[in-house]
Amino acid sequence: MKLILSSSNIMQGRQSVIRHPLQKSNVELINSLRSNFLASQQIQAGQINGDKVPSWTQQGEDGLYIPAIDFSQPGLAEERDQYDITVKLFYLPGIPASRRCAHTREAIDLVLKELHVKSIDLLIVSFPGILFDADDDSEEEDNATEDDFDSMVQTWRVLEMLHEQGMIAQLGVAEFGCDRLARFLPHTQVKPSVDQINLKDCCVVPKSLILYAKQEKIQLLTHNDCHDILPVGTTRELLGPAEKSAGILASSPDANDGIQGDVEPQWVVKYTAVVKDRGVVENKGYFALADIGTCVKQ
Amino acid sequence: MGLLALGTALEWPDAKQKAGQVREWGIEQLLANWRKARGKERDALLWGDEVEYLVVALDDAAKKSRLSLAQAEILKSLAREEALWKSGSGDNKKHSDHDGEEPPHFHPEFGRFMLEATPGQPWGIGFKDLLKVESNMKWRREVAKAHMAPNEVPITLTTFPRLGTKDDYIQPYYPPSGPALRSQFVPDEIANPHIRFPTLAANIRSRRGRKVELNVPVFHDTNTPRPFKDPTVNYDLHNWPEDDDVRNGAAKDDHVYMDAMAFGMGSCCLQITFQAKNMTEGRRLYDQLSPLGPILLALTAATPIYKGFLVDTDVRWNQIGNAVDDRTREELGEAVSTCESRFSDSRTNISQPLKNDRWRIPKSRYASNSTYISQDPRLRKEYFDPDLVVDESIKKRLMDGGMDDLLATHFAHLFIRDPLVIFSEDLEELDLNKSDHFENLQSTNWQHMRFKPPPPDKDDIGWRVEFRSMEIQITDFENAAFSIFIVLITRAILSFDLNFYIPIQRTTENMETAHARDAVNDRRFWFRKDPFASIVPRSAQQSTNGSTLSSGTSSAVNTPPPSPPLGPVETEFDLMTIDDIVNGCADGSFPGLIPLVESYLNSVNVDVETRCFLASYLDLIRKRANGTLWTGARWMREFVAKHPSYKQDSVVSEEITYDLVKAVEEMTIKEGKNGSVGWELLRGRK
Repeated sequence: MKLILSSSNIMQGRQSVIRHPLQKSNVELINSLRSNFLASQQIQAGQINGDKVPSWTQQGEDGLYIPAIDFSQPGLAEERDQYDITVKLFYLPGIPASRRCAHTREAIDLVLKELHVKSIDLLIVSFPGILFDADDDSEEEDNATEDDFDSMVQTWRVLEMLHEQGMIAQLGVAEFGCDRLARFLPHTQVKPSVDQINLKDCCVVPKSLILYAKQEKIQLLTHNDCHDILPVGTTRELLGPAEKSAGILASSPDANDGIQGDVEPQWVVKYTAVVKDRGVVENKGYFALADIGTCVKQ
Repeated sequence: MGLLALGTALEWPDAKQKAGQVREWGIEQLLANWRKARGKERDALLWGDEVEYLVVALDDAAKKSRLSLAQAEILKSLAREEALWKSGSGDNKKHSDHDGEEPPHFHPEFGRFMLEATPGQPWGIGFKDLLKVESNMKWRREVAKAHMAPNEVPITLTTFPRLGTKDDYIQPYYPPSGPALRSQFVPDEIANPHIRFPTLAANIRSRRGRKVELNVPVFHDTNTPRPFKDPTVNYDLHNWPEDDDVRNGAAKDDHVYMDAMAFGMGSCCLQITFQAKNMTEGRRLYDQLSPLGPILLALTAATPIYKGFLVDTDVRWNQIGNAVDDRTREELGEAVSTCESRFSDSRTNISQPLKNDRWRIPKSRYASNSTYISQDPRLRKEYFDPDLVVDESIKKRLMDGGMDDLLATHFAHLFIRDPLVIFSEDLEELDLNKSDHFENLQSTNWQHMRFKPPPPDKDDIGWRVEFRSMEIQITDFENAAFSIFIVLITRAILSFDLNFYIPIQRTTENMETAHARDAVNDRRFWFRKDPFASIVPRSAQQSTNGSTLSSGTSSAVNTPPPSPPLGPVETEFDLMTIDDIVNGCADGSFPGLIPLVESYLNSVNVDVETRCFLASYLDLIRKRANGTLWTGARWMREFVAKHPSYKQDSVVSEEITYDLVKAVEEMTIKEGKNGSVGWELLRGRK
């Protein structure tokens, strides 16, 4: 069974967007999902539909929406060309790369539906297992193996196809160091126009990367997303029976206090719509998809 | 400063006769313009900063610094170069570092020792534009300097420490006491000779019925006499009737006394103007930025010295307010004259009936603002100023003309004032396609926020909001940092739909608090605790979004559920330190302006280089707020205190002033790097 989690627009009325310096950087995702669940629960309070799932969620063709989403609501206030729409897709660790094709389609489709648009301006993909280390100019110390590299190239083919179809204007990667970029570029037909890097102190970017990016006309952008944005434990806690949680999943795979089975987050997508010449962030939100039960073990 | 039209300026008795006509015509111009411009939509964010300089002449041999009155010559020389640039034959290598940037503009200011410089074209929100601000400010300084005499420098101190002393603090020298200012400390030649300026000064004095009066509490050091009686005051002058002022007690004990507009309007400020996407957004920004005015005033504090003495306040604001205070004794609520009050038995002046004037007016024309103007459901009636003075007949005219209550109240409040400079030529015919009469009142209401309608003759300019409280900083790094900080705050306000509303009287109070010595570290300010709206469930959220974001024109899809009843207004705000307000409260109650800005930046695509620059700007402000870095005021106090010739008597001598100006000049170049002068306010470590 698929669970489709959503935050709705987190820009308005949300204390959750402010991260205190010591907090982990996935706090925005977790808080915004949690507060959207709570707000939806409140509005639907008292309604019981006798089903196993609460009435503030909705069973759709593609999965259970938590909370329910009314896609007939307007997405953006002004015409499409007023906006820069950036989407960042996080492929999560431990999920077979073979699913990424389907995941990419699912995630992009949800964003397009949510914002009522036909295309996005920039898609940045974050592959699991890559760590950018600003202090180290030459070596990238991470777990990405040879297989991982091949799967990135495979995934990129899918993105290039969506680019060709006009669904995505520009493509980007995250946490690529100089060497990885240099290795990756020859395998691409549509070059990444963006490399997004997480820098604690952004004044220490390796010079080699700056020069290489400039030469290849790749824009170096900053972000502060965390590496493992939606761990399994966090997902269960968020959806479990505890207070201030969604009350959908059981507290453990075998417990009797909710839907049973293992939970496995598949991907997270973040979307941002910025009014171009005014720099106003009008809409920002997250979708996340998690599998539970039998399909996990496939 | 607005347009400098030429003509025959009326002296006060004549101007007073025409005041009603100017107001009436100004209101008709406003209405015509408002009707034309209220539907303007989708204007981009454009913004501009204004940097003001003092021109100081250095005499290294004599170790003296003087204000140079060379404004006119410098501007003429600058204009020649601008013309050359425009014709394409200019010296292009000079601005090869500023590819694609228009040459800066220079403007006259009130003081003849002042220059104002603005970027050649407005900035946008493109992050690349933000990177150009600091280098453009530096360029402006270089260009200005290139048109000065070799011993002259443009410096960005708010005030010249020895303006108005007995020595020859101006070059060329003129003795004090002229017919326009009638000051015993400064000559009329201190002001820009354009007829507008001496008339403005003379008519303020004349309307007021005496000279303006600035009494700034002296800073009592160990050797400062108690009581301190300003030793520079001459009680024995008999040139003008106003020379009686000091004999009637104008100069107060323990205060530094000043008596002319030049002491206020001769101050340099850092002002930022934003173009809003439409009138609705402009009104919202006007309201939301208003509570930030006093906070930024305290953060930028840079004015600890007046007329050769250390004073006990850190900022310029009230001094300017007093320097242009044209209110009569009746409007101030003071006894009309000692002679009359002897025969009246009134114990409280306030209860005296008005004989000549229409109102008692609680604030100077230059003061913190007194209105909220946004048609915002979050604006509670408790936030309004209960002491607001409004010209009801003007308000009625505006509302009859179709303007809503809030905006009509705002302008009917500004229009309680008299126009000060009237050119008789302008009274022949009312031109509804101009805004001269409107601007006559609008631009002589110097409040800390200004809401600016589009100029009627320029279609490409939209509704604008000006943020006016900040003090100019010594270096361009600081000036760029504060300018950009305010720009980013406006983007955070709009993106997160922030709510900073507090009762406007608390902002007025904060403005006073900001004056205290080291208010940035020692004082607490009223501020709203929760800047976020309560969480609106999704089904209701979309409709409210739509209406706030699309200028109120789209109709709500759903009716939002009734909001929960609001608590008492007093529970919405609290006293906070500047550190709490800027960096966030430790208990997590108020998130902090910098975390809000960073959260905004994390939601937009920012390139690495820009983010690095922005980080250094935000770091400066963060550290000013938490006390790691000094304000300019603190640095100057320490500079004076440590100077070998300082005698702990509050006196800032010519020698100290010369060394201070030299240090300031060095700081604008080295910016406190490697332990150079000023590291305490720029770097925090040697």
